Amino acid sequence: MSSARRFDPILLLALPAALYLGIVYGLPLLFLLGRSLFGAGGLSSFVGFFADPFSWTVLANTVRSAVLVTLICLIIGYPTALVLARAGGFAQAAILVAIILPLSVGVVVKAFAWQIVLRRDGVVSQIMTGLGLWSEPQRLLFTETGLVIGAANIFVPFMILPIYAVLKLVDPRLGEAAATLGASPVYRFFKVALPLSLPGIVTGVAFVFSMAASMYVIPSLVIGDRFQTLATLTGRSFLFMRNEQLGSTTAVVLLALTVSVVIASAWLSRRLGGAQ
Amino acid sequence: MTVPFLDITGAGKSFGSATVLDGVDLSVGKAEFISLLGPSGCGKTTLLRIVAGLMRPDTGTVVLDGDEITRKPPHRRDVGVVFQNYALFPHLTVAENVAFGLKARNAPKDTIASTVSRFLSLVQMGAYADRSIKALSGGQQQRVAVARALAVGPKLLLLDEPFSALDRKLREAMQIDLRRILRDVGTTAIFVTHDQDEALTMSDRIAVMYRGRIEQLGTPAEIYHRPATPFALDFVGLSSRLPGTVTAESAGVISVETGAGAIRVPGNFIPGSPVVLGIRPERITVGTEGENRVEATLCDIVFQGARVQLHFASPDGGRLLVETHEAPAGIAPGATLPLSWKFADTLIYPAGAEAEAA
Repeated sequence: MSSARRFDPILLLALPAALYLGIVYGLPLLFLLGRSLFGAGGLSSFVGFFADPFSWTVLANTVRSAVLVTLICLIIGYPTALVLARAGGFAQAAILVAIILPLSVGVVVKAFAWQIVLRRDGVVSQIMTGLGLWSEPQRLLFTETGLVIGAANIFVPFMILPIYAVLKLVDPRLGEAAATLGASPVYRFFKVALPLSLPGIVTGVAFVFSMAASMYVIPSLVIGDRFQTLATLTGRSFLFMRNEQLGSTTAVVLLALTVSVVIASAWLSRRLGGAQ
Repeated sequence: MTVPFLDITGAGKSFGSATVLDGVDLSVGKAEFISLLGPSGCGKTTLLRIVAGLMRPDTGTVVLDGDEITRKPPHRRDVGVVFQNYALFPHLTVAENVAFGLKARNAPKDTIASTVSRFLSLVQMGAYADRSIKALSGGQQQRVAVARALAVGPKLLLLDEPFSALDRKLREAMQIDLRRILRDVGTTAIFVTHDQDEALTMSDRIAVMYRGRIEQLGTPAEIYHRPATPFALDFVGLSSRLPGTVTAESAGVISVETGAGAIRVPGNFIPGSPVVLGIRPERITVGTEGENRVEATLCDIVFQGARVQLHFASPDGGRLLVETHEAPAGIAPGATLPLSWKFADTLIYPAGAEAEAA
């Protein structure tokens, strides 16, 4: 047991990252926490925040849009990851490039591109009315639906890649073994592929949820001020309202929300991974 | 064998320009244990995957128990597979692995429980039912894989080199165990292996495969004592080979002139044909009892425990291998000794076939 206590020189390799994160991320975060807890209002600023019904609307907006974005990413991302894991050679490389390349196009560029797709005479509206699903053209731009569609577009690679990474390590013979035991393709998916890829799903959900809950640029560009989330409210408090107390409070609430999701998913991932 | 239980006709498969399986026919009787024996790349695993439904043949048909299953998906075939790496489900316990197929077939709960415990005790893994797969040794995983495949009561069990990851002692114990289990259950089985000892030990019949074809199909004794082709002779067991030319033929007996001398062989060959003779090492004795006699120089004595191998060089430089229980007293490398074997123990092949197989 004493050897486990001894210092492992390999740990020194973590030093650059620890220093960097400590200075660039940890310290400012501590200041922020300190300001929200021990600033002018102290804890009363949290009491005030949660007493205001508008705060609950903002909180609900944040959680609802983040959950919807995560769901859409999961529904689109999982089958893609499955195809990617099964594909070989050139096809796999092509799909990977198709997934990663759009990340290099800035969010701002994409947001303006969506305006073409999401406006009243846009592509989506034309398709939906053409199919008879909508009785008249509708505008998706400046709506929460538009926001969720757009955000899912940005974040879907962060769902696909972790699931793909896990699926790729699943032995294809497991599916074949299940088939020879009499399991139909659907049964195989739910009893073999899905449980074995849960750690990847949990990681992808943690990624996408925390990014979607804290997105600032996308809602600002796609909807504007009418739709407030914790992240946009934080931005407004600091930038326009000069209300640092409110900004720190909303920032801490957002942080608590995303950190708890990340910790919960890390725990889940460890548990599910441990079951393998 | 009356009506074959499994009937493969003209099975062919190519990947690009490479023909992996070249029109294979194979019939297997009920409760028979057949080995597909051959070097890697001979098409044995491809044939197995075609029977399991994990791969579609380009040509040919597979009929199992009167049912044409060539295009049936694997989950509707009733063909169990024990994979080389076992392919046990890592997220399930030992018992859950064995229960998997039964649950997939919607078996009633109490049937599942009793079947699982019956098959786990059959493979002597009853005490491990609630263990994680990761906590098992290779041999234990192998047993679970066999129990899992048998628990659903497949019509046919396919085994893809299931012992290749086990050490020698365990492998030999498992071979005998598996044979006993399959006999108890009465399952028809096809066993893929590149290990001739494994095939000889376990099989009712062996199909020696080479370059996408079955070179010879027969009982282990037939394969060993009467290999049909030079490849079968080479791949199964050891042998001495003597190239020569047929000099005379009369009433099913031919004379062959070799570098070691004139040899008489049963067979029908036109005088003048180039041939290759093969003799199994345990058929040759030091001395002059047999009808065929040559003189050769002893090069090496290799002690192998139960057996001793004597390596000889014949005058023309060819090599002769003799296997016996005990080296004759007083012989040492460098001595020239008479060797002999029975006329009937001489195997003969046209030299062309040899060139093709080499």
